[in-house]
Amino acid sequence: MGADVITVSCDTQFVHLAWQKDEKMLKEVTYPMGADPTGNLASLFGVYDEEKGLALRGTFIISPDGVLLNSEVNFFNMGRNIDELMRKFKANIHLAKKTNEGCPSKWKEEGDKTLVPSPELVGKVFEALQ
Amino acid sequence: MHDEEDPMDLVCCGLKVGQKVPDFKITTFEPTKGNFGEFSFSSEKKDKKKWTILFFYPADFTFV
Repeated sequence: MGADVITVSCDTQFVHLAWQKDEKMLKEVTYPMGADPTGNLASLFGVYDEEKGLALRGTFIISPDGVLLNSEVNFFNMGRNIDELMRKFKANIHLAKKTNEGCPSKWKEEGDKTLVPSPELVGKVFEALQ
Repeated sequence: MHDEEDPMDLVCCGLKVGQKVPDFKITTFEPTKGNFGEFSFSSEKKDKKKWTILFFYPADFTFV
């Protein structure tokens, strides 16, 4: 899908191996599974829970030139919506090409309406999105 | 000075959206190779063509 995905937990690479081999749901997994037993990487992204020694459910999209563009963090008990992750990813790809535009909340895919901030748009966002 | 904890110390740090991500390296398990490897952010970003998605979760053997 045009991005390198890396999953990260505070388990070691040995546990990743055991889990991936054991769990049938992970049979088709191709992405690298990162091991962060010290929590250093999770701390860098602000998702390390020191008391539990675990990483919160954080998703981060980083641009090709190394800038963090999206961050979503859920508590331990809530899963993430992959459709929303894909929406953000597609919007990033669009905005990287059209740097003067903005993707509104209902933007889903290429071809959907975007906004171009300008004096004319002030107070006219509703009309611009029709 | 007093021993009370400064409330500001409780505020978590971490990268903010819009900031440049510093270089990092992480040991990996590579399911396609069945072997261990290393992910290096700087080598990933060398050609400036690839997007990166980091997906943190609490623990193996639980739901993701």
